[in-house]
Amino acid sequence: MTTASRFEAIGDKVQAGVPLSASEIAALSETCNLLRLGALADERRRKTRGDRATFVRVAEVPATGIPGESVSRPAGEVRLAGCPAAASRVVEAVRAAVRAAGNVPVSGFALDELVDLCAGDVARFDDLIAALRAAGLAYVAEARVERTADPAWIARAAAGGVPVARWTVDSSLAGGEALRRVAGWGADVSVPVFAPLPRASSERPSTGYEDVRQVALARLLVDNTESIQVDWRRYGPQLAQVALTFGADDVDGVSPSDASQHGLRRAPLEEITRNIRAAGLVPVERDGRFRKLRTHQP
Amino acid sequence: MTERLVDGAVRRVLDGGRLDAAEALALYADLPTHRLGQLADAARAARHPGRIVTYIIDRNVNYTNVCVARCNFCAFYREVGAGDGYVLGFDEIFAKIDETVAVGGVQLLLQGGHNPDLPLRWYEDLFRAVKARYPDFKLHALSPPEVIHLSRLSQLPARTVIDRLVAAGLDSIPGGGAEILVDRVRKRLNCYGKATAAEWIDVMRHAHDAGLRTTATMMYGTVERLDERIEHLLRLRELQDATGGFTAFITWSFQPSNTELGGAGATGVEYLRTLALARLVLDNFDNLQASWVTQGGKVGQLSLACGANDMGSVMIEENVVRAAGAAYCMDEVEIVRNIEDAGFVPKRRDMQYRVLGDPIFRERQVPRMTELATAREAGDVSVPAELDRYPARSLAGKRRRQPVV
Repeated sequence: MTTASRFEAIGDKVQAGVPLSASEIAALSETCNLLRLGALADERRRKTRGDRATFVRVAEVPATGIPGESVSRPAGEVRLAGCPAAASRVVEAVRAAVRAAGNVPVSGFALDELVDLCAGDVARFDDLIAALRAAGLAYVAEARVERTADPAWIARAAAGGVPVARWTVDSSLAGGEALRRVAGWGADVSVPVFAPLPRASSERPSTGYEDVRQVALARLLVDNTESIQVDWRRYGPQLAQVALTFGADDVDGVSPSDASQHGLRRAPLEEITRNIRAAGLVPVERDGRFRKLRTHQP
Repeated sequence: MTERLVDGAVRRVLDGGRLDAAEALALYADLPTHRLGQLADAARAARHPGRIVTYIIDRNVNYTNVCVARCNFCAFYREVGAGDGYVLGFDEIFAKIDETVAVGGVQLLLQGGHNPDLPLRWYEDLFRAVKARYPDFKLHALSPPEVIHLSRLSQLPARTVIDRLVAAGLDSIPGGGAEILVDRVRKRLNCYGKATAAEWIDVMRHAHDAGLRTTATMMYGTVERLDERIEHLLRLRELQDATGGFTAFITWSFQPSNTELGGAGATGVEYLRTLALARLVLDNFDNLQASWVTQGGKVGQLSLACGANDMGSVMIEENVVRAAGAAYCMDEVEIVRNIEDAGFVPKRRDMQYRVLGDPIFRERQVPRMTELATAREAGDVSVPAELDRYPARSLAGKRRRQPVV
């Protein structure tokens, strides 16, 4: 079978919803037939998510030194960056952020950081999650696939009232391994978003092909999350927009600031909505709890 | 109706036919991006079946930033007499050539502002001096509006200016200054004065008649309509039918930072769609370049899936796009990595698109480049001594120079 006909055969299986073998996933994850892969992913995206692309404006604040005054408007989410070295300080950071955020949902931390803070002790973890919930944390910001050996922690966090918002995966997990891992955990592990991240290595950063291929594969292979997300800052506006035509349906990390030295037409809100429309989609702004805030009309 | 037009246009492409303006417009407006890209990719593969993607090692040198054209989309120019206006000296240009040769470079892309204080003889002397020192080094120089500027300055026909420049050492002409070859657009961009659409085409026709090969460009995303972009492409296709003198087509989007026109830039999807459409409309062009310098390396690489067969230039130096806020850098190692990652075979080329060989860094050690050089160090406003040999036309230029003996 030629490479092209094998690709077509795999594409047919994907469209029919037939599970793929490991070698088929590996073949897809190495294909240079990027546009065919993108078309498959786009078709799946439109079937499952329609023509809407959601985005969230995120105010990122360091988990140490939270400002006392409001930091949120017009953000849809306040996200704590970094993780203090002690559980008590983590809870303290959340309290301060929630005070500054007003009604805007607050998220923060990676799941493995919280597990490490508790030295992997289940009881301590449950106590920490309960304290974070009481402090007002809406979501654990991410679960890093590479550092999540046991998905049971995700279920524990959700059961404690602080679910995980997204899977993140560095594209260094090659050959679709991360995708296989997440897809293999099935519907029991419920996380709303899957977010492949560009590889940031200064020696060998991921290429455009790698980045959009990861997005397309995520759309085709991961069916236990609702959204495939791209990060506005890490992809950059140009590539993030292209990724929306390769299966992504949600844009994270849009700046909440509307100030632009170049004028309103180049301010972040204008730019994200213009980019989504130019990709043939309808921009819908959401908040950090995945609630729709508004549809942006042209 | 629209669907029928799109289907007809797709069939036309698949049958190897030629698109008309209405069909091209329908494809751009209504065909999904992947499908448009796939058609362009098939057209590229038909013309370049060996999966070779080329690139050139050269340097964009802007010999002066002083310009009287005042295009409102340009962030690079300085007015006559401006404190930060500059003209590079011959020795500075020689030093840039030395650096270029050291990393395997084969030519300069030499362009600059319309400086009233640089007469035709300055260019002739520069070209002759370069050729005397570097006989095999190529000069890809002076876009059509610069030729027209020299024609006006010297009161000579453009054809004569080209002949004299060729006699001095000009090897080929870059396709800059085309913007959109529709005069309504050119008037709104304040570039009608520097060259009308017909004047730009005429210079290229003269150059092709004189035996020069040239490139063609399109800067989109300012005030033009989609049908005007397509008119631009059709005008290039028509001239190529007549002369066959274009080696390649390069398109890029307007970069708005620091420009008088301002506003927002076009998006990545628009770039890929425009590139793909160009591959389909320009059925008589062999080569389409990816503009990574304006789109960034990642979208630049994706261009290879949408009809581009060339990654442009390693570049070494760039000043014009940087002035408008884009500062991407890819050295040869990075360009080759991107080509291979996309499943293509990288080859070095010259301006005529003749393959020169495999990546030079695989033959010998070449220093890595993490940022593009600039014309001059910031704050360097020195005036080259040899300028005194040439009569200035502007008052500021006359004041700055010694009396001509």
